[in-house]
Formats: sequence, structure tokens, C-alpha cells
Amino acid sequence: MTTLEKGTEVKMTRPAARKRGYKKHLVHLFLLPAMIFYVGFQVYPIFTAFLNSFYSWDGMQRDQFVGLENFVRLFTESPFQEMFANAFGHNVIFFIGTVVSKMVIAFLLALLINSKIRGKEFFKTVIFLPKLLSVIVVGFLFSLILNPTYGALNTFLSFIGLESLTRPWLGSPDTALYTIILVNSWYGLGFAVLIFLAGLQAIPSEIYEAAKIDGASGLRMLFRITIPMAMPSIMVMTILTFIGSFETFELIFAMQGSAAGPYYSTDVLATYFYRLAFGTVEGGESIGLGSALAIVLVLIIASATAAMLFFFKRKEFEQ
Amino acid sequence: MKKMGMQLLCGMFAAALLLSGCSSSQSGQSGSGSGGEGVGNTQGEQVELIMYSWRPEDKKAYEKFIAAFEKENPTIKVTFKPFKSTEYNTILTNTLTSGTGADIVQLRPYQGTKTMADAGYLVPLDDVKGVSDIQQAYLDAARGSDGNVYGVPLFLNNGVIFYNKQVFEENNVQVPQTWDEFLDVSKQLQSKGIVPVAQSGKAAYLLSMTHSVIGTTAYGGNDFVEKALKGEVNLKDPAFIQSIQRMADMESFFPKDFIGIDDKDAQALFLTGKAAMYINGSHRLQTFEKNNPDLPLDVIPTFAAEKGGTTPMTTWVDGSFGVVKSSKHQEEAKKFMEFLASKEFGQMYSDELNRVSAISGVVPKHPLVKKMTELTEKSNTPYLMLVHFGDGTPTTKTTFENALQGMYIDQLTVEQVADEAQKSADKWFTPQK
Repeated sequence: MTTLEKGTEVKMTRPAARKRGYKKHLVHLFLLPAMIFYVGFQVYPIFTAFLNSFYSWDGMQRDQFVGLENFVRLFTESPFQEMFANAFGHNVIFFIGTVVSKMVIAFLLALLINSKIRGKEFFKTVIFLPKLLSVIVVGFLFSLILNPTYGALNTFLSFIGLESLTRPWLGSPDTALYTIILVNSWYGLGFAVLIFLAGLQAIPSEIYEAAKIDGASGLRMLFRITIPMAMPSIMVMTILTFIGSFETFELIFAMQGSAAGPYYSTDVLATYFYRLAFGTVEGGESIGLGSALAIVLVLIIASATAAMLFFFKRKEFEQ
Repeated sequence: MKKMGMQLLCGMFAAALLLSGCSSSQSGQSGSGSGGEGVGNTQGEQVELIMYSWRPEDKKAYEKFIAAFEKENPTIKVTFKPFKSTEYNTILTNTLTSGTGADIVQLRPYQGTKTMADAGYLVPLDDVKGVSDIQQAYLDAARGSDGNVYGVPLFLNNGVIFYNKQVFEENNVQVPQTWDEFLDVSKQLQSKGIVPVAQSGKAAYLLSMTHSVIGTTAYGGNDFVEKALKGEVNLKDPAFIQSIQRMADMESFFPKDFIGIDDKDAQALFLTGKAAMYINGSHRLQTFEKNNPDLPLDVIPTFAAEKGGTTPMTTWVDGSFGVVKSSKHQEEAKKFMEFLASKEFGQMYSDELNRVSAISGVVPKHPLVKKMTELTEKSNTPYLMLVHFGDGTPTTKTTFENALQGMYIDQLTVEQVADEAQKSADKWFTPQK
């Protein structure tokens, strides 16, 4: 690609270059509609949230400038500090749980599809299908499946004689969060498989052939060739999973409501933010505190993502 | 190429013009929608009032009410615009802060109205004919901090114990009147494979609703409420802890895994006769009758502490209608408020929607609504958490009901539930003098 572009540039005459310059500016005009939407729906809200985090806003209107007070209250005042710690902890569990349940399975599936099995395309489609559903629909479907009284899962477990395993999956603090993590992994599995598959397919087959001639075992090839060479896709997926885990909201909201019950056992920073900023039907909202939390959330995601990028880049160089 | 570029540029310009055209016509529409025709009503000219509500389910009934009003006020046209309840608060806030959209709005009771009135978005309605005839306790749901009334209360909700008469008869058990009887009867029902109380705990608000019904006779009803408002007792008082203990004692009579089941599942248990009792607001009557008109239903207000003890009806105002300050047609909107405060409307509302009207003297057609109205008039007590503890971030009510959920999943003790609620109240509650 790059050599082709370079080649065309060398042969360009003066008027042609001028024409190209003009066209280059015309191209910017095409960005305008997208830019308007981007600024209107992304930049502006972030900017106002940033601004609102410095104001007290407990009722209907923005009140007075309070400096960093919202941030201080968030981390020092009860029940905000306990709720933050609880929700943050759940985000971390969500990330680790998703890495284990989604990424590991997705990588194994990608390996399988990448090998010489029959019906590759079929498996790829089937695995990717859930992603086509709306998260809210997935949440609703699984709420039905996991319903303790008539849900399909408990009914199935009883049917096959495993009645002792039936439990209120979403109604017990011991299982609720992990259940949601698994549903989320099921939902996102197809996308992860595609990313890993792209990474695996980019590995030249000559390397494997050479390794085979040298007498390397399958497992050795996996750890010495496949995983190191697929590292860029693993890196992308880890970062995307991290961002997804810290932004996660819809599924929990759909399955457990904004209270993220039972008794905050599935609460994450985004659901906590929602309750803080918008309250309940009866009130209790605080846009000021909510905005402060939103800013903290952005800072957490941005700094951790930057740190991960830095770590992975260094790893790449080491190789 | 150059020509093509110009063509594209022209095309984009045209598209931009078209878009701006669309948006201006849209803003024109919303201008008229807000009743913002600019001038007040001169004689003969028709005025349109836009009315926001969170009850899309009641649209048909409202069309009837409005038709009755328009017949008497031919120059005023009222358009009922309902929104989904869960999205209503945001829509209402946007309407009030932007000053466009609605002339009449449905207001959330108590703290909900107070916040909006205090921010100066509503018109005081104390001088509207009929408003002063409404019970003071009901008007409290629609007051601002200045003591003025900003809404006409629409209907009352009662927290009640619904029971299935047939289930009691078939199983040969008496309907319990006292707390001790309830415990006995529940054990008997349970031994016969019937779920005594169809309770859901997935949405925590259902728990504080049940607490308001069965707890009131444990903490001492209105006496306790008065003392709590004066600051003489608080939520850590032994009497209040006793009311939470009742909630803990009821757990074994709720459906298995009730914390994981939805209210709809609980309703289904009750509707199909698998459960004997169901505790919730009187507005559920409409739901039950729609789903199973033959259900042999009856209600009791609460379980008395001892035989012959009082059984006050838990009562709260569910919502009211107010007039938006930025409306260009305040006078006409107040005329509609006068209609809402009239006995004629109260009667129509009660008959049409089977609800307990907040207007005095209304005699409901429906025998159960009539019974609930009579019980309410005889003795009533507020839904303590909603009426008096609905403030704070998060609200004390929210804190309390989530703590109750925590109690059921063994994360908190009875005393800790009271502690959590009081800690939340401590942050904002100031006793009345």
C-alpha cells in the first residue's frame, strides 16, 4: 500500500499537485456532518459533565460553584465512599472474569476454527450471532432463562437430576455478578473470536512448517509461535475488554435494574453513576456528584488504558 | 473531477438548506405545542393546553374527562400527552427548565413536587376553587417549602393486603386480623402447599411498600410518625426496629427465592391461586381485574398488633397536576385545575379507573374501592418512608428498602437496617418545631 502511494506522488506534475491540494481540502468538508454529530453528542456532553462536576446540583438546576467538593464527598463521605469501593471492586472482578471466561474461550475457539476443521464458516456465524442482538434483549432473555421459579436453566437442572445445583442465579449475592459476567462473555464471544482469528490468520504458515521440520510439538508451537505472534490481537482484545468492563452498564441495568441488586451485589461504577446522577422515581438525584463520578470513571479508564498500551508496546519491542 | 466536486458541494449545500428548513419547521411546531401562540385568550379564540402525564395506560379515560371539561369550556382544548413512567422525570425536568412543551404537568408527590415548586417552575394554586376543600394531609403531597399548594392531588393510593377469598375458604382458614393470627394462618396455608404471601424482592421498593403496610401497627402508627417528625424518636427506636423484625419474620412465608423474582411473577402466583395474599398499592386492583376478572378478591388494611387493635389504612397521594409557570395560558390551565378539584371530576375518575379519589365526598361505584375509601376515611396513616423520608442523596427511602433487601440476603441484621436508614436521615432530616 505505502509503496504504491509513494510511486504516484513522484510522478505528479505541478498543476496536478495543486488540484490534489484543493481536493484535499474538499475532503475535509465531507467530515463536517460527522464532526457536527461528534462534537454535539460526544465532546459537548463530556465538556458539560466536566463543568458540572464543579457545581452543586442536587435539585432541578445547577446551583453554585463548589470547586472540588463533589470529588471530596465522593471519596470521603458515607455512603458514597463505600459505594464507590464496592462498585470499583465489581468492575475489577468483571474485567478479570471476562478475561478468563471470554478471552480464553474465544482464543481456543479461534484456534479451533483456524485449524483444518469442517464447517468453519458455520461455526464462525453461530458464534457471532449473539452479537447481532441488542444487549437489552439479551438481558431480558437471560432474565427469563435464569428466573428461579420457571426459568429454563433451573428447570433443565432439575430435569437431569441436578436439583441440588438450582439456585436463584440473579437473586443471590454469591452468584449474581458471576452470572452476569458469563452472560456478557457469551454475548461478546463472537467479536473476540473474530479478532483472534484475524490475528491467527496473519501468522505465516511457513513458520509452522519450519517448526514442524525442526520437530516442535503442537503445544510448543502454541506457546512459542502462535501466542507470541497473535500478541497484537490479544493486546487489542485485552484493552477493549478492560474498557468494556469498566463501562459496563446495559446488561446489569436490564437484568438487575439501576439498584444493581440484590443489595448492590452487582453494582458497578456505571450503575452507581446512573443512580447518583438520576436518582429514582422519587428523587435523590445529584447531577453534580454524578458528573464528578463520570469524570473519575473517564480518568480510570484513560489512565489504565494508557498504562496497558505502554506495557504491551514495551513487550512488543522486547520481542 | 472539478465539476464533480462542485456538484457535490452544491448537493451538500442543498442538503444543509433542507435540514435547516426541517429544523425550523420543527421548532415552529414545538412553539405552538407549548401553547406559545404569544397572546392570552381573547374571546372566541381557542386555546390549546398541553398536558403531560406518566400514565399512557389511562389515555382513554383522560379523553373522556377532557371531553367533559371541553363541553363546559368550549374555548379551551386540552391535549393529553402521556409518557412512559420511567422516562417521565427526565422529560418533565427538560420541559420545565426549557419552558416549552407543556402547560399542565403531572407531578410526583411530596419531595418530587417540592423540588419543582422550590425551583420556581410552578404556579401556586391555593386560590383555585375547590383546592382548599381537599384534605390538608393530601395537599401536603403537593406543597412547596413555602407552604403553598402547587398541585391538585389526583388519587390516593392505599397500601393494602389483597387476599383471595376462595383460597382461604378452600383451605378452611380464617382471614387473619392480628399479627399473631397472620403467623398462625400462614403456617397452616404453608402446610397445605399454598404460598402465604406472594412477595417479590427483586425491586427493593416493593419491600418498603410491604413494610409500610405490615409495619405500621408495630411502630405505633400516627403516634410514632408525629414523634418522629418532632425528633422525639428516630428510626433506631425499638418500636421501629420491631416493625423491621416483622419483615424478617415474614420471610419464611414468602415464595422461595423471592429476592430473585419479579413483581409480575409474584402477581402471577396470586392470580393463579397459588398464593393466598399479596401486599401492594390499591392501584394493583386494576391490574388484577384486567388479568382475572373472576378473582374472588378482598382487602384488609393491615394486621392489628392485638385483637381489637386499630388497623389504619396506609395512605399516600400518588400524584397531582400542576400548572407550569412559563405557560402562556395560566388562566385557562387554572380553569382546568378547578375542574380537577371538583367532585364531578373526582366521581368520574373513581368510576372510570377504580381508584380512591382525593376529592372529599366521592362515593365509588366499585365495592372494593368503596371499602378502601371508607377504611381510609375511618383511620389512615402515611406511607412513612415515601411521605416523610423521601429526601437525601440517595433518599432515605431508597437506602431503607435496599437495606431490607440486604437483610434478606443475610448481609445486614434487623438493627443494621434501622442504622442505615437513620444514618441517611441524619444527613438531611430536621425535626419540625
